Parts: sequence; structure tokens; C-alpha cells
Amino acid sequence: MEPILQAKGVTKIYTTGGIQTPALQGVDLTIQKGEFTAIAGPSGSGKSTLLHLLGGLDRPTAGETWLGDRRTDQLDAVALAHVRLWEIGFVFQAYNLIPVLTALENAAFVLELQGRPRREREAKAMAALEALDMAAYAHRRPNQLSGGQQQRVAIARALAAEPQVILADEPTANLDSQTGRALIELMKRLNQEQGVTFVFSTHDPRLLEHVTRIVRLEDGRVVRDERGPGA
Amino acid sequence: MWRLAWRNLWRQKARSLVTASAVALVVLSTLLFFGLAEAMKNGMFQVLTERAGHLVVTRAGADEAREFDAHLIREAARVEAALREVAGEGELAVLLEVPVLASGGSRSRGIQLVGLRQTPGLERQFAQDYLSAGRLPDPDSLDEIVLGEALARALRVDVGEVVYIFAPGTEGLGAGAYTLVGLLDFPEAALEGRTAYVSLAAAQELAAPEAATRFQLHLPDLHRITDEDRLEQVRDRLAQPLGPELHVKTWREAEPGLATLLDLVDPIMLVFNGLGFVLAGLLVVNTVYLSLAERIREFGVIIALGADRWRVMRMVISESLVLVLTGTAVGTALGLGLIARLAQGFRFPNALTEYTVEFGIPAVMYAGLTTGQLVITILFAVGTALAAALWPAWVAGRLQPVEAMRHVT
Ligand SMILES: Nc1ncnc2c1ncn2[C@@H]1O[C@H](COP(=O)(O)OP(=O)(O)O)[C@@H](O)[C@H]1O
Ligand SMILES: [Mg+2]
Repeated sequence: MEPILQAKGVTKIYTTGGIQTPALQGVDLTIQKGEFTAIAGPSGSGKSTLLHLLGGLDRPTAGETWLGDRRTDQLDAVALAHVRLWEIGFVFQAYNLIPVLTALENAAFVLELQGRPRREREAKAMAALEALDMAAYAHRRPNQLSGGQQQRVAIARALAAEPQVILADEPTANLDSQTGRALIELMKRLNQEQGVTFVFSTHDPRLLEHVTRIVRLEDGRVVRDERGPGA
Repeated sequence: MWRLAWRNLWRQKARSLVTASAVALVVLSTLLFFGLAEAMKNGMFQVLTERAGHLVVTRAGADEAREFDAHLIREAARVEAALREVAGEGELAVLLEVPVLASGGSRSRGIQLVGLRQTPGLERQFAQDYLSAGRLPDPDSLDEIVLGEALARALRVDVGEVVYIFAPGTEGLGAGAYTLVGLLDFPEAALEGRTAYVSLAAAQELAAPEAATRFQLHLPDLHRITDEDRLEQVRDRLAQPLGPELHVKTWREAEPGLATLLDLVDPIMLVFNGLGFVLAGLLVVNTVYLSLAERIREFGVIIALGADRWRVMRMVISESLVLVLTGTAVGTALGLGLIARLAQGFRFPNALTEYTVEFGIPAVMYAGLTTGQLVITILFAVGTALAAALWPAWVAGRLQPVEAMRHVT
């Protein structure tokens, strides 16, 4: 067992206009390499917050976050950006892709941020698009793609940079259930064939049939951590 | 990165085009202003030195002295020889300026009588520029005179009639009668009303044998105001043989007022053009900022993916640069084309020429642009792009990914 992401006693309290909203309250969680984990829970239970903290997009109010054997909750903004760029892949719910770039350019975007040479960028981005059955749409712009296709390009973008783990925050929320399920199946395939570690969140219990592990959140606490039907 | 900037600007085609056009316009007008200012400067320089020479030799201290004596350079022939040696193929004018009383029968006036001998090229130019009737006095004649038109009117004399000149207290004859052989038309009315010319020999006989008050040296091939170094070299070479009694001045030293005015043209142009860039810059700020504000969520995703603060700032700045440099390229192309045409020579509308000539600006001028001015213009543009991007870039650099992605437009 090799832990990739860890949350130790993580608490996150948002303060807006003097009002404090506790989003997470003392969450302990360890994600192992090669796992296919779902963070499940109703809307407002803290799924996004947890993924943001694990991914170094934000810092906890209390507690620690770790990437491998490195503590990340104390890093400054630039160091965190560096960690995100080189170690973690992200897929978001919506507005994922850069509208003026083609699918291929979007898939190559993280590689471009990493400063890799053009040839390498294009080869890897194309391979990633192929892995997601999107090679035929390489030269389309996002507005010429369906919602499901756009999310696949977003996964290809994360995949192309070969991160240690891909975090996907409700990647299916804007898709119909059939397309959503297909997307999760695709992620599962990548997990099995290429050994990519996935953590994704969902509030739709029907999407949990493939996962190896389900972490259930309620009101900012982990209420259950169980093996999924896909284990 | 540039590609991304370019495409994002295309996203708001109309807005970007308006802004880039404004930049192009400012660049164009800046180049044009520079080109015209250069034309004006060189034109004024040309007019000034055509009449007064590039280098002027006077008696040391003559500028402050009031007495006629203090202006006199006694050994005019020796000085002339020394000047000819240095001047090479240049042209030379020898002047003896005498304050006199001129009288035309019933009327008289205090004027400046100039005894003038100049090399043929200068003489031809002088006649062409100023002679409006008759001819110039014969160089050897002792009794011919030309008057400014206004002066002739004031004295009520006409070509062919006699003018009496009195120069009391001088070392020459002190008085003489001269036949009016021609009239001069000067652009400056004041000059025309108090100037008369005779041959150098005639003036010497009248007031100061073998003396002169001023030598004007015209160097060949000195057409641009910027040829300062050569002029100063010649001046320094002359100082030795002429001795401390005499003073050699460049046109700049002889006409400090005008020289300062000409020197002011560049800084004034700079400030003026700078203002244009400030205005265009405000448009650029607006465009770049709106482009950011519309894409906060997109920036949030980009930051989430791992772009750090500096990268995000660079993205904003490169958008500003692409916008401004596109406009600059267009403006420069148009500007250079236009200046190339005006460099062939151009004139103000006829109605204006009358006034410009009064200010010592020639009727036909030649636009010019120095590499320095082109570089300054482009630096101005780049500076505008950077300055305009500063604030939006700072805002973008401070975006927090989670908040930016939650941003509602
Ligand atoms: N940036 C924020 N500012 C204030 N409150 C927030 C912020 N983000 C999330 N919250 C609140 O924290 C709680 C958990 O939100 P979130 O993590 O988005 O849950 P989920 O993703 O499960 O819907 C919710 O009550 C939400 O309103
Ligand atoms: Mg959420």
C-alpha cells in the first residue's frame, strides 16, 4: 500500500460576511495508489471542499494535507501551483475547457504550462485523446462538442500530463445519466488499464457501481468508508 | 501563449479592433508629428544658416558693446584669408555693419547700412531670395545702394534716385551719395524698414577703411541641424589662427534663442505624443481588464490546473502586448509610408505659406524620421502595453482558484 493523498483531522470553515460555514469537520482520509474512489454525499456535504483541499487548491482551517510524503497545507501559493501542475490532474464540473482552444490544444494545455516541447505535447495529448475515444474530434472547439465529449477532453487533459492522481469534482453533474455512467466507465477503464488513481465526487448513488471504494460525507464528516461493488 | 492571447482578443473582435485601431492612430500620428517636426527644424535651420552662415566671426565682446569702434575687425583681409583656408569649398560673406542716417531728399531715418561682399553662390542666392526690383550693387562700385522696399517707401525714393547716407564720427568719409539700384523684399517687415546694402568697399570708404564687423562662413554639405560635431570642429580649428581678439560662434551660439526653440521641438513632441499614448493606454487598460473580467472562471480553471501567479500575469500582459503591437505594426507601416512620400518634399497650402515664411519656415519642406524617433515611438507603444496591463495583471495574479471558479459573471 502506498498512500498518495492524505487528510489528517482536516477542518475547513468558510467565513463570508462575518458568517462562518463549517464545510469540513475533522476529516481523516487516505487515498492509496491505484484506487478508484468515489466521494459520495448530498449537495453541500463538503465533497468539493475536500477535493479542493486534497488537490492543493485551498488550505484547511485546521489539520494537515499530504501528497505522498510531502505536507502541502503549509505551502505558499506558488509552491502549491507547482504541486498541482506536476503531480495532480483536475477535472471540474463545468467550464472546464478553454473555449478558444481546440480539443487537442486543450488536452495539451497542462503540458504547455509545464513548458514541454511542442512535439511531445502534441504526441501525448493525441495519445490521451485516443485513450478517451476523442481523437476524431481533436480539431474541434469545445462549443462544437457535446457535454460528455467536453468532459472526456478534460479527462484527456489531466491524463496527458501523467499525474499521480486525478481529482474529478462531480464530472458528471451536467450530463444525462447515461452519458454520465459512460464517463465513469471510461475512467474505470483507465484506472484498470493504465493504473491511474482516480478520486471523483458525485451526489448520484447510481454512479457508484464500478468504484472500489466509497467515502460517504454528510455535513462535513466522513460517515462511512466502504469497499464499493467494483472492488 | 501568444496564440492564446491572439485568439482571446479575437473573441471580442469589435472591441479589440477599436482599441488596436486607436493604438495604430496614435502611432501613426506620433510618427507623422516627428516627421513634420523634423522637416520644420531642418527647414528653419536651412533658412537661418542660408542667411547668417554656419559660423560667424565677430570681434570679441562686440555683442555687449554699443560703440561702433568696438565692433570693428581691423585686419579684415588677414581674417578673410584665414577663413578661406579653413572653409575649403565653403562660401564666405564679409560684412561691415554701420549705423547710419539715411536720407531721401525730404525724409530721413536711422538705419543699419551693411557693406557686403560675398562669394558668387551666396550672392546668387541672396538675389534670388530677396531682390524684388533692379539689381544688387556692383561689388566694386562705391556709389550704388539697395534698400528694403519698406525703407524706400519711407524715404520716398525710387530705383534710379539718390540716397544720402551720413555716418558721423566714423573713420571714413562720413557721408556719401548713392544711387538706388534695387529693392529688397524681406519676410520680416522690421528688417525691411531699416536695412540698406552697399558693396563692402563702399562701406569701408564711408566708415572704416579695411575693416569689417562680421564674417559669415557657410560650410558645404551641411544641411541637417544634427551635423553639430563637424561645425564645432571647424570652430575650434579657427580659434587658433584668429586669436583672442576675435570670437567664432556657431549659428547656435549666434542665435541662442532660435537654437533653444529648435531644441525644444523634440521634448515638446515627446510630451505631446506621450499624451496620445496615455489616451490609447486607457483604452487598452479597459480592453484588457474587460477581457479578464469576462473570463474569471476560465482563469480560475487555468490557475487550478497549475498556472502560478507569474504565469497568469504573463498571460494578461501578452494579451496587452499582442493588442498594442498589432496596432503599432499597422500604424508604423502607414506612418513610414506617409513620411516616405513627404520626404520627397511638401508644402503647406498656399494660404498658410505666407505666414510660415514669416516664421523662417521654408515654403517647401522635407519630412524626415530618425531611427531614434522610430525606436522611441515603438518603445512608447511597448511601454503603453506594459503599463496598461499592470493593473489587470495584478488583479489576475491575485485570483484564488476556488473563488475564481465559483465566480458568477
Ligand atoms: N467559498 C465558499 N464560501 C462560503 N461557503 C462555502 C464556500 N464553498 C463552499 N461553501 C459551503 O460549504 C459547504 C460545503 O460545500 P461544498 O464543499 O461545495 O459541498 P458539495 O461539493 O458537497 O456540494 C456548503 O454549505 C457550502 O455552501
Ligand atoms: Mg460540489
